[in-house]
Amino acid sequence: MANQTDLVNRSNGRMEAVQQREAIAPAVDVYENADELLLLVDVPGATNDGMEVQLDKGQLTILAKRREDAPGSLLAAEYRACDCLRVFSVPQGIDPAKIDAQLSGGVLLLRLPKSDSVKPRRIEVKQG
Amino acid sequence: MFSRFGEASRDFALLDEFRRRLDRVWEDMDPSWPASSSNARAHSSSAWPRVNVYDGGSNLVVKADVPGLSEKDVHVTLNESGLAISGQRKVAPPEGYSAHRQERSSFSFSRSLTLPCKVNPEQTQASVKNGVLTVTLAKAPEAQPRQIAVQAH
Repeated sequence: MANQTDLVNRSNGRMEAVQQREAIAPAVDVYENADELLLLVDVPGATNDGMEVQLDKGQLTILAKRREDAPGSLLAAEYRACDCLRVFSVPQGIDPAKIDAQLSGGVLLLRLPKSDSVKPRRIEVKQG
Repeated sequence: MFSRFGEASRDFALLDEFRRRLDRVWEDMDPSWPASSSNARAHSSSAWPRVNVYDGGSNLVVKADVPGLSEKDVHVTLNESGLAISGQRKVAPPEGYSAHRQERSSFSFSRSLTLPCKVNPEQTQASVKNGVLTVTLAKAPEAQPRQIAVQAH
């Protein structure tokens, strides 16, 4: 090939193969009560370092990165240790500063507290 | 995959393995296969938990994803015919909450694997960490790899 460094015009027109990390969608439970939204996410094998929880422009991204720790050569495989990724649209009225995430036993527990303005308020009816 | 088959049954073993893989392809593609609820799909007792088996030279390591399970919920049994993993996964919805989405479900499971070689049952260890079950089985002395010295004549 005449010019191997030509980045723009490729003679064969083939796209460059880009390796992308595989991610699967983990099972998620979403609960709600008057004060908060509660998410439970199955992320087996995830550690605190590998968890990325991000709220950006109303999108909640939950990414659990997982390292393959093979204790030997693989004899039989039914799963691959790949990342877990899930994105949710978060409704208005969630207080981003108070989001709390805990990881225990391969399950991520996310609490999204509602801001005071959207919490239901009981109005006292006074004697007129 | 896990079994040791004799020469005669090797062809059948191959067929069996092929059928199993095909089943899995269908399961992945079509949630209603085999005719069952969508919850049972990922968690059908035959397929859950999914298991990886590693050969670590002097030991065998079996790993399985069991998110949300503690060591009390998993029973590991070792006998002549192999290794059995069973237990129950309980997912209780928190009280006072209404559910928007429930993908995690409660179910009981049981799997059994035929091990590829003899193991020493006394030295078997099992642990659950970060939702991953790890069973370490020491190979029996006769199944250990042995270095043969190559001699010059």
